[in-house]
Amino acid sequence: MADVVTPRALLAVLLLVAAPSTSAAQSQTPSYGHLRLIAPAAPGGGWDQTARAMQQALQQAGLVHTSSVENIPGAAGTIGLARFASSEGGNGDVAMVSGLIMLAAVVTHQSPVTLRDVTPIARLTGEYEVIVVPSGSPFGSLAELLDAFKRNPESISWGGGSAGGTDQILAGLVADAIGVSPRRVNYIAFSGGGESMSAILGGQVSAGINGLAEFAPQIESGTVRVLGISSAERLPSLDTPTLREQGIDVVLENWRSLVAPPGISAQQRRRLVSVIRDMVQSAAWRDTLARYRWNDRHLDGDAFADFTASEEARVRAILNKLGTGSPAASSWRSIGAYPLLVLISFVGIALALGVSAVKSGGLTAEPAGAGWKALLIIGAGIALDLLLLERAGFIVASSVLFWLTARAFDRTHPARDGLFAVVLSVAVYVLFVRVLQVPLPAGVLAGLI
Amino acid sequence: MGTLQALGHGFASALTLPHLAWALAGVTLGTAVGVLPGIGPAMTVALLLPVTFSLDPTSAFIMFGGIYYGAMYGGSTTSILINSPGETASIVTAIDGHMMARQGRASAALTTAAVGSFVAGTFATIALTFFAPALASVGLRFGPAEYFGLTVLAFATVASLLGNSVLRGLLSLFLGLAIGLIGIDQLTGNARFSFGIPQLLDGIDVMILVIGLFAVGETLYQAWVHGRDQHHVIALRDFRGMSREDWKRSWKSWLRGTAIGFPLGVLPCGGSVIPTFVSYMAEKRLSKHPEEFGKGAIEGVAGPEAANNAAAAGVLVPLLTLGLPSSATAAVLLTAFQQYGLQPGPLLFTSQPDLVWTLIASLYIGNLMLLVLNLPLAPVWARVMLVPRPLLFGCILVLATVGSYSLNRSILDVVILYGVGALGCAMRVYDFPLVPTVLGLILGPLSEQQFRRALAISDGDFSVFVSRPICATLLCVAVIVLLGPWLLRGRLPAALGEAEIQ
Repeated sequence: MADVVTPRALLAVLLLVAAPSTSAAQSQTPSYGHLRLIAPAAPGGGWDQTARAMQQALQQAGLVHTSSVENIPGAAGTIGLARFASSEGGNGDVAMVSGLIMLAAVVTHQSPVTLRDVTPIARLTGEYEVIVVPSGSPFGSLAELLDAFKRNPESISWGGGSAGGTDQILAGLVADAIGVSPRRVNYIAFSGGGESMSAILGGQVSAGINGLAEFAPQIESGTVRVLGISSAERLPSLDTPTLREQGIDVVLENWRSLVAPPGISAQQRRRLVSVIRDMVQSAAWRDTLARYRWNDRHLDGDAFADFTASEEARVRAILNKLGTGSPAASSWRSIGAYPLLVLISFVGIALALGVSAVKSGGLTAEPAGAGWKALLIIGAGIALDLLLLERAGFIVASSVLFWLTARAFDRTHPARDGLFAVVLSVAVYVLFVRVLQVPLPAGVLAGLI
Repeated sequence: MGTLQALGHGFASALTLPHLAWALAGVTLGTAVGVLPGIGPAMTVALLLPVTFSLDPTSAFIMFGGIYYGAMYGGSTTSILINSPGETASIVTAIDGHMMARQGRASAALTTAAVGSFVAGTFATIALTFFAPALASVGLRFGPAEYFGLTVLAFATVASLLGNSVLRGLLSLFLGLAIGLIGIDQLTGNARFSFGIPQLLDGIDVMILVIGLFAVGETLYQAWVHGRDQHHVIALRDFRGMSREDWKRSWKSWLRGTAIGFPLGVLPCGGSVIPTFVSYMAEKRLSKHPEEFGKGAIEGVAGPEAANNAAAAGVLVPLLTLGLPSSATAAVLLTAFQQYGLQPGPLLFTSQPDLVWTLIASLYIGNLMLLVLNLPLAPVWARVMLVPRPLLFGCILVLATVGSYSLNRSILDVVILYGVGALGCAMRVYDFPLVPTVLGLILGPLSEQQFRRALAISDGDFSVFVSRPICATLLCVAVIVLLGPWLLRGRLPAALGEAEIQ
């Protein structure tokens, strides 16, 4: 019976993918036909969540007709930032999620492109940080933990997210505030919230620092104990003393924001600012904030630009004290034992293999049948593909690659191979770009397809 | 019994005709998108998430179950057919799966993968149903020292992947380890060996290395060896699927794969790659035909594929009971659950029993639908092997390009892809095994990080690796696995000697 239902259900699903706005409450004329949102991170992280939540809220509120999310992951957002600033200049229909971590990554990775090189639109959300210990920990209060920390800083291990991120920044700020050198913080960086949370829950580290939202279920169930929160005031929802109440003058919020490309017109900027203003007031966005436990931190205009500048100064100062990403740290001397071991072994094995090969009269290679000629034809196809991909577009480049590859294996059917080359390239392009909304370069055929 | 009753309620709300249709739509979409190169399970689920926006929670969960299992399964199809794994968890499947396909047994390979996935998915979901909370707390006892022990055990599997010559296998392994050095050092945030190129800060993506070495390398190698020689055509006659002999050889592998995959998937940082390697090693060690491995042994497909899907169910244990996303895919699923007000965590089973049991019931249904969809499709897919070689290899290169480009939308990735492809071709011509390189790239950074984390936590005290019982056990097992067979037969010196002659 299921077979009877399937084709129709499948069709419905495919239509939904192609036109994700079907469910939108079209209460007003959308300001954008299509707004592209860029998450400078892989799916699953906070920036990706923000972009996808915005996509949903914008569509449901009828502020955009359709919206898509593109992921450009890499180096804590700095890859996405560089790409965004260089390739989207003057484009008014695209915006990128950014935030505190990107500011920090720009410093840590000495990125040549900074948040000053893009157009600020608005700050959107904020998340406070908590310092927690597992419920069985000997440390009953923040004072006890910090006393032990002061006596022997290295004996206390702090687990948190990636190096140079919000969690480590808070650890550094706290150490600095109580007069311990931030360099002596024994910070254990884990890749991603899940890994650090499991280390904290399992008591592998002495204390953990993490976003409040990620830990909320643990806090409610009592598997971890919160020692302090990085907010300015006590939260109504969580009866935990702030760091400030406990004599540590540190307030930190992991904020996320939205930026537009450089070089957009004042009118394009105003339009995006006003759409975001409408979005943060929509019911859909309110739901999102509650669901993810994000604080509403909407701020736009000059106030947002000023805020970014002051945060940048603060982050730069503390990261310098922590010593992450300083040029001296990446010199040859500090490369460490493991990489040297790997490289020396690699060279050693290669030499041993070379010696044994010379003894037995050279490495045995499989004889080439068609050999160089076939490889040269494919090589030409690959070279043209690389050359044409971003200039002439995916369809042209792939057709050339396909046809030349086929030529390497077959001399008899040039027309058939050409036809398949074009059909496959167009099909892949349509599938990725139109159906899945994964962008590929359109090139010379832009507007046609 | 409370659990059974709750599960019954879950099934009652999940088992309706429209829901079954959604489940089928979910596995179809998940498999279809998961098959595409460069789009791994995390991306598949993220891409298909908007599809469920307009559904009620029950239908949406049913579709998630289908999409998730479908995406985890989809990668194996390309592994077997065109030697191009769709995601990291199906790398091992390519070794024997593609050899089977080359011998005309693609249908059997796809069938054993589908049935194995179903068997593993079912047993693992049952384990999830009854033991989730207990298992989760055991998983938490794994700290950096234990994970280091686990990576050492996984490294020990390299012995079964080395090929004919120990030296060549080791060079291949260390090549992977060396490539793994590139990128930001996770513990300090400092760049290593990135040569000032920002795109290298996150290292070389495993998928690019895999697609380059396997798919592109294979294409170049075929051109080098056969080129326009039309006489070389693979004889393909057998589309019947698994023979009685195949069933007999597969079922134990499915069960062993499940037993290996599920517990390793439960570990909060286990992921689904290591279980597939461990399963492959176990199958080769226990097989009566170890000489067939690498040449098309069906156990080498059945075991790792079962391990892969069992681990996929295992990943849900820390996700549901602790709110702990232990892989990128799990992190996307967490977002999806929150979309419907389901808040994974220690209180989930008591505070939202209706939603969670519906979800678990959906997993059973999605798993069954996966089998319903893929059993009849296996012989259809197998006919891909009949596509004329010029067209097939043209397709492979175009899909490899689109896969590597869409990972980060960077032309540099495509350049690296073809550089790695040329390397892969040269390695095949000179008879170097490819899989150790991949193993090195995946395990090297993981192993180094966990080792240094363990040392940082113990403030530099090396005894943590022997004083913690789980870690010490894992290290002992690794040593036994690595040296046991040789010591037993007194062949260690002889084996090294043979290597020189090869």
